[in-house]
Amino acid sequence: MKRLIVIFLLLISIFSQAQQGKVRGTVFDDKTGETLVGVTVLVAGTITGTATDLDGQFTLDLDPGSYELQISYISYQTLNVKDIQVKTGEVTLLENLRLNESTLEIDEVVVTAEVIRTTEAALNTIKRQSAVIMDGISASKIKLIGDNTAVEAAKRVTGVTVEDGKYIYVRGLGDRYSKTTLNNMDIPGLDPDRNSLQMDIFPTNLIDNMLVSKNFTADMPADFTGGMMNVETKDFPEEKIISVSASTSFNPDMHLNSDYLTYPGSSTDFLGFDDGTRVLPERARQPNIPTPISGAPLQETVDFIKSFNPQLAAERVTSPLDYSVSFSLGNQIDLSKRSNSPKLGYILSLSYKSDYKYYKDVVYGEYQRYIDPDRYEMRYATVQNGELGEHNVLVGLLGGVAIKTSLSKIRFMAMRLQNGEKRAGKFSIDNDGQAVGQSGYQATSDNLEYNQRSLTNVLLNGTHISKNSGWEIDWRLSPTLSTSEDPDMRKTAFTNTNGRFSFMAGAGGNPARIWRSLNEMNAMGKLDITKKYQFNNADAKLKFGVSHTYKERDYEILFFDMQFFGGQSWTVADPAIVLNPGNIYPNRPNSIYYQSGNPDPNPNAYKSNVNNTGFYISNEFTPIAKLKTILGLRAENFVQRHTGRDQRFASGDTENGINLDNEIVLEAFDLFPSVNLIYALTEDQNLRASYSKTIARPSFKELSFAQILDPISNRIFNGTLFTYPGWDGNLTETRINNIDLRWELFMERGQIISASAFFKSFDNPIELVRIPEQQTSTEYQPRNVGDGRLFGAELEFRKDLDFIAPQLANFNLNGNITLVESQIDMTEIEFNSRKTYEKNGETIENKRQMAGQSPYVINSGLTYSSSKTGLDAGFFYNVKGSTLSIVGAGLFPDIYIEPFHSLNFSMNKKIGENNNTSIDFKVSNILNSRVESYYQSFNAEKQLYSSMGPGRSYSLGVSFRF
Amino acid sequence: MKKMKKISLLFSLTLLMGLFFASCDKDDPVEAFAKPNVTVSTEVNDVTYGATEQSVDFSVSYDSKLTATYTATGTGVSVTNSSGSVTGNTVTINYDAGANAGAASITLSVTDTEGQTDDATAVISIAQPEFEVQVTSNISENTTWTSDKVYILSGRITVLSGATLTIEEGTIIKGEAGTGANATALLVARGGKLMAEGNADAPIIFTSVADEILPADIAAGNFESPNLDPDINGLWGGVIILGKAPISASNESGDVSEIQIEGIPTSDQNGLYGGNEPTDNSGVIQYISIRHGGTNIGSGNEINGLSLGGVGSGTVVENIEVVANQDDGIEWFGGTVNVKNVVVWNVGDDGIDTDQSWNGTLDNFIVVAPAGHAFELDGPEGSMAAGHVIQNGTIVATVGERLSEDLINVDDNSIVDLKNLFFTGISEGQKINRVTAAGVTFEGIEFDVTAEELPNHVNGDVPAGVTAGSGTNKADASVFGWTWAGKAGALTGL
Repeated sequence: MKRLIVIFLLLISIFSQAQQGKVRGTVFDDKTGETLVGVTVLVAGTITGTATDLDGQFTLDLDPGSYELQISYISYQTLNVKDIQVKTGEVTLLENLRLNESTLEIDEVVVTAEVIRTTEAALNTIKRQSAVIMDGISASKIKLIGDNTAVEAAKRVTGVTVEDGKYIYVRGLGDRYSKTTLNNMDIPGLDPDRNSLQMDIFPTNLIDNMLVSKNFTADMPADFTGGMMNVETKDFPEEKIISVSASTSFNPDMHLNSDYLTYPGSSTDFLGFDDGTRVLPERARQPNIPTPISGAPLQETVDFIKSFNPQLAAERVTSPLDYSVSFSLGNQIDLSKRSNSPKLGYILSLSYKSDYKYYKDVVYGEYQRYIDPDRYEMRYATVQNGELGEHNVLVGLLGGVAIKTSLSKIRFMAMRLQNGEKRAGKFSIDNDGQAVGQSGYQATSDNLEYNQRSLTNVLLNGTHISKNSGWEIDWRLSPTLSTSEDPDMRKTAFTNTNGRFSFMAGAGGNPARIWRSLNEMNAMGKLDITKKYQFNNADAKLKFGVSHTYKERDYEILFFDMQFFGGQSWTVADPAIVLNPGNIYPNRPNSIYYQSGNPDPNPNAYKSNVNNTGFYISNEFTPIAKLKTILGLRAENFVQRHTGRDQRFASGDTENGINLDNEIVLEAFDLFPSVNLIYALTEDQNLRASYSKTIARPSFKELSFAQILDPISNRIFNGTLFTYPGWDGNLTETRINNIDLRWELFMERGQIISASAFFKSFDNPIELVRIPEQQTSTEYQPRNVGDGRLFGAELEFRKDLDFIAPQLANFNLNGNITLVESQIDMTEIEFNSRKTYEKNGETIENKRQMAGQSPYVINSGLTYSSSKTGLDAGFFYNVKGSTLSIVGAGLFPDIYIEPFHSLNFSMNKKIGENNNTSIDFKVSNILNSRVESYYQSFNAEKQLYSSMGPGRSYSLGVSFRF
Repeated sequence: MKKMKKISLLFSLTLLMGLFFASCDKDDPVEAFAKPNVTVSTEVNDVTYGATEQSVDFSVSYDSKLTATYTATGTGVSVTNSSGSVTGNTVTINYDAGANAGAASITLSVTDTEGQTDDATAVISIAQPEFEVQVTSNISENTTWTSDKVYILSGRITVLSGATLTIEEGTIIKGEAGTGANATALLVARGGKLMAEGNADAPIIFTSVADEILPADIAAGNFESPNLDPDINGLWGGVIILGKAPISASNESGDVSEIQIEGIPTSDQNGLYGGNEPTDNSGVIQYISIRHGGTNIGSGNEINGLSLGGVGSGTVVENIEVVANQDDGIEWFGGTVNVKNVVVWNVGDDGIDTDQSWNGTLDNFIVVAPAGHAFELDGPEGSMAAGHVIQNGTIVATVGERLSEDLINVDDNSIVDLKNLFFTGISEGQKINRVTAAGVTFEGIEFDVTAEELPNHVNGDVPAGVTAGSGTNKADASVFGWTWAGKAGALTGL
């Protein structure tokens, strides 16, 4: 790799022409915001010139000096840009050259280069004319502001909520209804159970733009409802980028804290993966593992027991500070000296991040309701209080090479992410025997976990246009490999009986170890063809295309618990001594050995795959003056297959058990029509109306026989293929009808005000439901519940404060307020079980709030930015209203996620020659809010389901551009 | 174009450099002695169950200038000559078949004096003993298990609704090892019937495959395990009987008058119990001894020795012994069944555990040294409120290091009449946890402590029915002569 970089640097030096300077620019149609191809760019009064390529971009090599450029195109006003300073070896950028259609009065406009440089209205125009309701942030704006990562930049997009510091949600709809794509390709995130891609891995200097679409057009994948965010990486950086940055962050609750919990892992944990220390002992996979009763020789059994890592205890050390470093590189090179030379662009980014988190008061609670209609308060079944230490390492490598001629572009991009998360916790568990299904015990547990994930993605993309006929072809191929492994999760819980400690299966449980592994392969191909034409004297566009996605997942859980051959005797409840040689079989009294929880075949292993073929056609035209219309129809043929078996089959009942061998579990051919109407009320006001049909499909995990235990919270997820009374095991997709209305007013410098109303109807929505038949353990299953609908109103604004006083022109207030009323029709079973537990004074209707949908979302920011002083600062506030997260009913109360009031401050100051050094200062979670979920029941005090305090953190970063 | 050439030149150069470095990594070969080579026939060596003095030949070669030694490792067999030096070109390994039927192997590893090594593995198949019957499928039609065989439960075997499993007196049933989803158990689903009628001369034994007890032992009157101590638990699951009698469960709305029995994964619907037939009949279970079971499927979710979920009064449950179960001895989940003559010895959790308004009587029983509560008696969980009677029992709360957590544990809403119980072996700290529950009555309860000490063992005021004494009213131990506990002397003097 190193050698490759050297070669690259060598290349750069070969091609740089030191004696000259460059002028680079992009030319847009001011009305549509689209780039213009073939625009003539001339140095005024000379014959030196060039034409814009398929990206609307041009490059001119000029001797140092001051120039005026003349930019002209048929039927557009000619733009003259004065005072362009060209310096030796430097690139002068003119990023937003905007041409207006010529009128009788004006056919020439003159501006200075400085004016061009500081406008950032290009994005606004994209939105004004775009087919869908869209928000976003462009590279030029990111550069103006100076955000370093995509997450920072995304905060500035109206309507976006950043969760967990890395995931992005739109309009308060949960993960199920959101989607993130990279370069318009579906790629799985590092967390394969989420639809969203984590955003903290992309350095902003390699991002071209980030756009959020709030409604659907036929050229998009149909499986999103709330919003889709696309991140487009740069292919041809406008100028040479070599930058390094480093940052550190301090959280007084978490860092330099000697209570921090961890455990000795492997020598490569700091790189985000395990070196093999946690690998499953080879014999453990075999059906007949050596135990005292397996018939294996004594030594073999002892060796087998010793082949497991003896570390079971969480250990206290002092936590270091968070830090991150990154390096990025990019440039474009002319491959010949001709004026329209083919260009080679490349980007490379390396980043490393190490975060430490220590939660000193984590709570997990299980609560129940009394059946007595006069007893309102809930009672606890189990409450766990404890501490949790986490160390998260993320290594990212992103590289891309692209070549373009004036009419064709091919790019290749590769990305590798490696993420390791080590967690260690100590909990005290209080189980109340009075509660239903509980036996009552006290226990203390040590939990050790390690999760390693990787993602390798490659994109090959070609774009070809024909200069005059208006055809454009874009094709993309993108394979992705991703893995997520939890090697050797360990839970050791001593049950405390009147001050005596032991492992009790019926109480805190025997010590257990779990190995989980997930491998996913994802291949996507896509072809889009666009034909621009004139209709009704206006630009029109016909798009059609085809896409195919193949995804395959392989999943397995292996479980082992420790058993004691004979009695047990422990003087102290210390997990550190449990696996001392003297406690291992055949040494009495503890005589520990391992027992396998894995039948052959394993019911907790599955393979699934998906084939999804899509076709679409879409036409964008203006049938009546000022009414832009986009009509589209998408068809998707979706087939999901599953290989797996249920517990009955696995336990040997091949007659009544179910075994699926690559059998179809979900199959549908759907048509997704969409209509988008944009009526230009005035030059800067639009009225929009849209209708579309979209879909939300169950995930691999949901459509499986897997039963996944979270050893820390001790809660179990059940795949939906299992049947229960009231659940037939057939999980289907959710089909959604979306209607949106919006009025929008655009003002200069990117200011906007808009008001929207939307309605969505959900056919068979999927929600996570507590399984009522299981009372001893806490188990959930996703199920289709009754139909749902939601009505929403949204207000969005981005306004400079100069209307208050002119001095405030650098202040900008932006925000987005969404109010949503959601409804789900309860199933009869849910309604009846709620009715049984109806309290005196309570009236139970057969409708309720939709799970995962917040009743309100507020995102707002107050920012100051001054490109003159290079200072940018802002406060950002996000909150989501109390959201139903897990549907209870009956004995089990509903669980709501409480609003998390997130207030953050960030400041960025550019200093030094050419502003090439940038210093960041951030304060996160200023209000010191906690992430909490509660059980709620009529007239009862709410009770904790889970609670964690991320604390307030301060971070400081510096980045330097060479 | 010229520059394109330059680029490709540079890339080729890089590639060449890469190749150069890659090839440099290889060490120059140092001349050496020939490596040893071990081979063995790939044919499976079939041996009978319990076979001894078997052998397998490995062909071995090694450099004639050197000498070599071998080590042999057996999996599922025990090797009698596990190491030695190699002479000639054949190494014969002698072995005895292990205790388990199925696949086994021997790996021979040969190392020469230069430290070079090679190995090969011979595959052995140990036949199923003729008297063993592997049970892999649920029982969907009437079936009889006979006492000349040993039945091996290879999973969670369920007697399905409509089917009757008859187990002859003196029959041995063994569960394979496993935990979690892999746990083995005998489950009688609602509507299924178990006719397990043992007698004092030929009880029915439920135990682990590790237990070497054989039909001949039963016939000879030796009911105890020949090789497992009576405190070894968690080797398999247990016996679970489910019926349609009413339960007081919390989800009683409409059609959810049934819930999932603990110890069975929620995804197996045969684990549902409860209904509206108080006189439901799940069969006859008498003279059975359940041993070494109780493996769990998750913390707090495990298999009792005998679980009775919604079992109706038409069912006969008498003369039951539970030994060394990792969880509770017997646990009732609602239902109306009456149970008589019970011994619970060395269980890992509660001795007697009742839930969900079991509406029946437990009469004449002994509980010896449970690790949890001696009695864990819960109240109704739904609106149906019924109680039970527990009478004529002897409880040994401490035996050596084994102490029960407390003596009687009731909830505020428990409904139970406790009559004529004698608690002995009482240690400091062992108590009745609550005497204020309105539905709990105490009558003829005697603690084997002095009158002064008595208040120390009651949390609250000592009720009239609880006195210090030496066992005026207690279990009739004479009926337990057939049990392992009885034969092992654990009941002596009770």
